[in-house]
Amino acid sequence: MSEEIVRAEGLRKSFTLSRKQQKIEKTGETKRVAVNGLSFSAYRGEIYGLLGPNGAGKTTTLRMLSTLIRPDAGDAFICGHSIVKEPERVRDEIGFLTSELKLEGFFTTDYLFDFFGAMHGVEKGTLQKRKRELFQRFGIDRFAQVQVKNLSTGMLQKVSLVISIVHDPSVVIFDEPTNGLDVLTARVVTDFLAELKGMGKSILLSTHIFSLVEKLCDRVGIIFDGRMAAEGPLEEIAGGDLEKSFFDLFYAIKGETV
Amino acid sequence: MKLIALIKKEFHRFFHDPRLIITMLLPGLVIFLLYTVMGEAIHAEPEKQDYKVYVKGEATAFTSVLQTALEEDGNTVEWLPLEDEEAAKKAVEEGEATAILYFSENFNDIISDPSGTGGEVAIVYDPMDEAGSAFYALSTALLQQIGMRFSVRSEPLISEEGIGRQIMQQLLPLIIVCFVFSACMSVTLESVAGEKERGTLSTILVTSAKRLHIALGKIIPLACISMLGALSSFLGVALSMPRLMGISMGFLGGYSVGSYFLLLFLIVSFVPFIVAMISVVSTAARSVKEASAYTSVLMIFVIVLSLVTAFLPTIGNWAVAIPVLNALVFMQQLLAGGLPVWQSLVSIGMNLFYTAGLVLLMTKMLSSEKIMFGK
Ligand SMILES: Nc1ncnc2c1ncn2[C@@H]1O[C@H](COP(=O)(O)OP(=O)(O)OP(=O)(O)O)[C@@H](O)[C@H]1O
Ligand SMILES: [Mg+2]
Repeated sequence: MSEEIVRAEGLRKSFTLSRKQQKIEKTGETKRVAVNGLSFSAYRGEIYGLLGPNGAGKTTTLRMLSTLIRPDAGDAFICGHSIVKEPERVRDEIGFLTSELKLEGFFTTDYLFDFFGAMHGVEKGTLQKRKRELFQRFGIDRFAQVQVKNLSTGMLQKVSLVISIVHDPSVVIFDEPTNGLDVLTARVVTDFLAELKGMGKSILLSTHIFSLVEKLCDRVGIIFDGRMAAEGPLEEIAGGDLEKSFFDLFYAIKGETV
Repeated sequence: MKLIALIKKEFHRFFHDPRLIITMLLPGLVIFLLYTVMGEAIHAEPEKQDYKVYVKGEATAFTSVLQTALEEDGNTVEWLPLEDEEAAKKAVEEGEATAILYFSENFNDIISDPSGTGGEVAIVYDPMDEAGSAFYALSTALLQQIGMRFSVRSEPLISEEGIGRQIMQQLLPLIIVCFVFSACMSVTLESVAGEKERGTLSTILVTSAKRLHIALGKIIPLACISMLGALSSFLGVALSMPRLMGISMGFLGGYSVGSYFLLLFLIVSFVPFIVAMISVVSTAARSVKEASAYTSVLMIFVIVLSLVTAFLPTIGNWAVAIPVLNALVFMQQLLAGGLPVWQSLVSIGMNLFYTAGLVLLMTKMLSSEKIMFGK
């Protein structure tokens, strides 16, 4: 087995629910444990998939790993750096992409690439070389001088992907990579992930789509209610039919009534 | 390096968006036009004056000298005997007559006799009226030349029009502050609350840029850009002020270069403070709409503060400690012809100090997951 690149140890995160949220979710509870003692490991050069239903705590987990929020308890190490103690080191090791993180439409792809390169402290010469390589590889060159707001959804997705790896991170973290995308754009993303894997990157993604996991992932972790229900290599977990294994697990934990 | 890239990005956005540039420079133009038009309307009189002066008492020995002096400058003078005092005062107030001169008895004799004393002169005039103040200045100067043997009593009669101009002068700081505030508001709301709402700020938060740099990377360039707006307002004021104040400026000896500089620095010093304040509010708000609602409350607060200072001119020097208020109070004093040097300098320092505090507050807020990622 190859080198461990992400290691989560007993991650825990709870939120205080606002009044508004309590009303929307029709609940009287004021605290919500979103992630409850989650541990797992991802390995270099592999794609790891966190699979779980809505509200399982996937986004929360990935946000903790990308240092946007701090765990209440537990820790995680990315390339050996603690997300709690060395968040800035971690940020230079990861590329994080979610639909909530957006690019300013006013700027061109070229400008944003340089800008985010500078934000990660990438040296100028290296940055230009990398820009040429990546733009060519993903067919962005022709659109480099177009304002981001004028790009098609597929091209914008590609641009976001390329910019998230401007600093050559070891780990790419991706929350719901194909959510809300049409089949063509979703294809752009899955191809990109495969390409990244080919480049030797390690990828951590979250999804609730079985086919995506089956197609891409080497390793999978199934989350229910903020807890890891099962974790391991895809073949081991799926046993031929991922969907069936998922629901078997689900009913075993939640009971037939749900 | 990261800070520089952040600052550059804000400038890049601004200078490549003509719409933003126009909104920034418009206020100055508006102030200039507004005050020039208003000043023009108020000072319709030509430079050469036709004086119309009511006289009570015999003083031909003095009035003839005064007449020669006035006519030398190309003015004309008409002396009228004072018959109906009320009507004459009304005429002065309405600007139809220049002044009323009261001479004590035997004034002619006293003037002719080098050792004579005890004469008395009273001048009723409108100091806000160009002709009135010029006439007052000249006649008192002449009386002093003749000798210090008379007591001169002046009775300023401020007309409604004069009061109007005084109010305008008092409201000038308010107008400047409003324009500066809206300049700061238009760029800051869009850049800070807008970026937060659109999720582009979070994209920067996942990079290894320091939160302090992100805060500074917003406040420094936005303050510079807003200063452009402030500068344009200031130029508007500076260019229209002589027109607006008319002769009363000459009467006060004009504004010195120093007071223009202090005025400029006062305006410039509260720009970073206001930008920082709106940035903090924008960081706390969930959307541009929410941020602009909070900012409007701030603006109303500042306007009330300006009104208070405009009509309560006796605020003490403790005002230096309060941002915005300090700029307002000492701007007022400068416009009224005062030169509160140390108060202005301390105010500028205080404003920068508070701004630094707000920068730190914003840094804290950017690091708070509740504020940045709370639901
Ligand atoms: N900032 C927050 N404040 C309060 N509650 C939150 C917050 N973020 C997440 N939660 C709650 O925590 C739980 C887990 O949310 P999370 O977004 O991590 O789930 P998810 O697995 O990503 O689900 P989805 O598939 O819907 O994206 C949910 O019940 C959610 O309502
Ligand atoms: Mg999610």
